[in-house]
Amino acid sequence: MKRVIIIRYSEIFLKGKNRGFFERAFENNLRRALEGVEAELVKQIGRYLVQNFDENELEEIVEKLKKVFGLHTLSVAYETDSDMESIFETAKLFCRSEGTFKVESHRGDKQYPLTSVEISRKLGGMILEYGKGKLKVDVHNPDFRIQVDIRERGKALVFGEFIEGANGMPVGTAGKGLLLLSGGIDSPVAGHMMAKRGMNVECLHFHSYPYTNIQAKEKVVDLAKILSEYTCGTTLYTVKVTHIQESIHEKCKPQYMVTLLRRFMYRIAERQALRIKAQCLITGESLGQVASQTIEGMTSSNSVVEKLPVLRPLVGFDKNEIIERSVKMGAYETSILPFEDCCTVFLPDFPAIRPKLEDILREEAKLDVEGLIAEAFESVEKIEI
Amino acid sequence: MDNAATTKPSLTAFERAREYVTEYYFNPSGMYREGFALQGELKKARSALLSPIASETAFELVFTSCGTEADNQAIFSFARRGNAVTTEGEHSAVFASFTELKNRGLAEPRFAPLNADGSVNVEKLLSLVDEKTSFVSVMHVNNEIGAINDINEIAKRVKQKNPRVIFHSDGVQAYGKIPFKLAKEVDLYSISAHKIGGLKGVGALIKRKSLVLPAFVIGGGQEMGRRSGTENVFGIKQFEYVAEEKFKTLKADYARIKEYREKLWAGLDKGVYTRLSSENGTPYILSVAASGLRGEILLHMADDKGLIIGTGSACSSNSKNRYSKVVLACGHDEKTADGVLRISFSPQTTEEEVAQTTEILNEIGLDLSRRMK
Repeated sequence: MKRVIIIRYSEIFLKGKNRGFFERAFENNLRRALEGVEAELVKQIGRYLVQNFDENELEEIVEKLKKVFGLHTLSVAYETDSDMESIFETAKLFCRSEGTFKVESHRGDKQYPLTSVEISRKLGGMILEYGKGKLKVDVHNPDFRIQVDIRERGKALVFGEFIEGANGMPVGTAGKGLLLLSGGIDSPVAGHMMAKRGMNVECLHFHSYPYTNIQAKEKVVDLAKILSEYTCGTTLYTVKVTHIQESIHEKCKPQYMVTLLRRFMYRIAERQALRIKAQCLITGESLGQVASQTIEGMTSSNSVVEKLPVLRPLVGFDKNEIIERSVKMGAYETSILPFEDCCTVFLPDFPAIRPKLEDILREEAKLDVEGLIAEAFESVEKIEI
Repeated sequence: MDNAATTKPSLTAFERAREYVTEYYFNPSGMYREGFALQGELKKARSALLSPIASETAFELVFTSCGTEADNQAIFSFARRGNAVTTEGEHSAVFASFTELKNRGLAEPRFAPLNADGSVNVEKLLSLVDEKTSFVSVMHVNNEIGAINDINEIAKRVKQKNPRVIFHSDGVQAYGKIPFKLAKEVDLYSISAHKIGGLKGVGALIKRKSLVLPAFVIGGGQEMGRRSGTENVFGIKQFEYVAEEKFKTLKADYARIKEYREKLWAGLDKGVYTRLSSENGTPYILSVAASGLRGEILLHMADDKGLIIGTGSACSSNSKNRYSKVVLACGHDEKTADGVLRISFSPQTTEEEVAQTTEILNEIGLDLSRRMK
C-alpha cells in the first residue's frame, strides 16, 4: 500500500489578503526541506501532500518536514481504494488491541455514495465488530483516532495520529535578522526562536585566533548548519577580534574587558547587519545569566547600537529552559563540545558586574575605536551554510 | 617539525613499491602463481623489517593496519587475568586500552609513575608486579617528551620477579630511529610505518616465535591466522623499502639529529622556554615549555608563520583534559604543562629548518609574552 504524508499548516490561515505570500514562502521552504530526497509535493486546499517517495526514506522525510516552520501537524497515511472494505482493512493497521476510539471522516469527493457521517458510522461499526468487545467508541476523549479522507478517482487516505510540527510562521515572511552566534548553548536557540516567527536569520561569529582554535570555528560552522535546517539555509560571517582584545588588555582596566569587548562586538554587528540589510540584531542573552548579561551590562552594550533593535528572545528564560530547547532542536550535543569560543586567556578574575556608563566611556576613550573596528572588518569571512 | 606525529612518506620507497599497485595487485591468498609470488614478497618484507632489530630465529612479525592495532592485539590477547602493569607515560593506544581492561573486567590495570625526564620509574614499576601480574607494557620511546626506557633491562627484571609475565613494548617512536636489538625477554613489540616515512595504515606486531598469539581480527586466516584481512601489499613493500633506507643511515642520522636538537635548544630564548626533554632521550624529540603561555596559542602563531609543531596540551578548555597527563606525570605543574611545545625531527630535517624553527619560536614566544603582559 502506498504511503502519503499529509501536511497541515498553522497560523498562515489567520492571514487575510496576505495568505498567498505566506503560502508561497511555506511551499518554498517545504521544497527546500525535501531537496535531496525523491518525493512529490502536491498542494491541495488548505494542505499539502508528499507522495511517491521511497518508503525507506519515510522517517527521514518526516524528520525534515518537522523542522519546517509554519507546519502545524502532519500524518502518515496509507492510500487505499475508497470502497468500505478496503478502508476497513487499512484502518485495522491503526487499531490498538483494546481501548476507546473515534472515527473521523472527510469527503473530498462529493460524489462518494456515503456522507462523512455515514462513513464514520459504518467504519466504526466494522471496527467494533472486529474488536470483539475490547474496542469501544468514545467521541470525546478516545485513546486513538482513525481518520478517513475520501479522495478523487476512487482512492482514500486512512491514517491515525497527528504528528506535531514545528508550528510558527514560514521563514522568509518576517524580515531578516543578524544573530550573534557564539558557539554556546543560547545563541542557536535564540536564532531558532526568531526563525520560528518567520525571520530569515544570518549569523555573525567573533573569534580570537590564534587564541582560540580551528576546532572552535568548525564547531560554530556545525551549529550554523544545525540552525540552517530550521532557517532554510543561512550565511555565517566570522570576524576576528583578537587585536581588539589585545588593545583592551594593554590599555584598559582588566575588569572592563568583557564590557568593552561586547560594545565592540555590538558596533561591528550593527554595521554588518546594515551591510547585509538585516533589520535587527538577535542575541542569546538571558537576564543575569553571566556577569555581562545584567541589565547594566545590556544597557552598556545596547547603547552603542544606533539604528537597529536588539532582539533577545531568551531574556526571561532560565538556563534549563534554554537547554531543553537546545536539546529539542538538536544543537545541544554540539554546543557543549569543549572548544573555547572566545578568548579565555584575557578574562579578568573579577569582571565588573554593574559597570557604570561613565567609567566605561572613560576606559573606552583610551582606545582607537574606529580604527580597531575598521581593522576587524578586514578579517570578515563569509561562509554559505 | 612535527615528525613524531607523522612523517613525509619516502618517494623513493613509494616509486619502488609502485609496481604492487600497477602490476602485482593480486590477492596474496590467491591459489594462482601470482598470488604465491606475493606471499614470497611479503615474506621478504617481514624479514627485512624484522632482521635489523631482532633475531629472526627467535622473533616473527605480524602485519597490522597500524601501531594502535598492534598495541590493542598485544594487550587484549594477553592481559586477561590478575593485573596488568604499564606506565603513566604511555600513548593512548596503550593507556586507554589499559583503562578498558578494567571496564571489561579482564585485568586490574596498574600504572607506574614516571621520573622527571619522562622515563618510567623502574623500581616503582617492579613493585607493582606481583605473582598475579599477567602482562606488562612499557613504551620504548615516549612520544611527548622523548624519554627512552631501557626495555630489555626492564623486561629482564620483570621476568626475574615473575617469569610468567608477558612483556610488551610500544616501539612506534623507536623503530627505525634509535639503535637497539630486542632481547629475548621482550615478548611483543609494536611498530608503525608512517613514523619513519612509510604510509598510514601499515603497522606490525613483532612477537617471540614460541608465543601463541590468538587471532584478533578473525576471517580468512591471513598472517598465519593471527590477523585476517587481505594484506596491504603496496603499503607493506613501501614500508620494507623505507625501513631499508632508514636502517642504512640510522646511526649517522641519530648523531646528526642529536646535534640539531642541541643546536635548536641552544638557540632558544631561555627567558621564554624551559627544556623538558633530557639529553639522554631520543634526539628526534625536543619538548620545551613556555611557562605562563599557552602551547596551543603558540602552535597557531607558528602555523601562521609556516611552522608546524606539536603541543603537549589537547585542544580543550576542559581543565581535566587540557594538560598532558604525561607532562604532569613527570612532576611539572599545570602552568608548565599548559605551555608545552613538542618539536620533532626526521632524518630529512635540514640545518636550515632548525635555524628557521629557532627563529620563529623565539619570535612568537616573545611576541606572545609581550601581548599577555
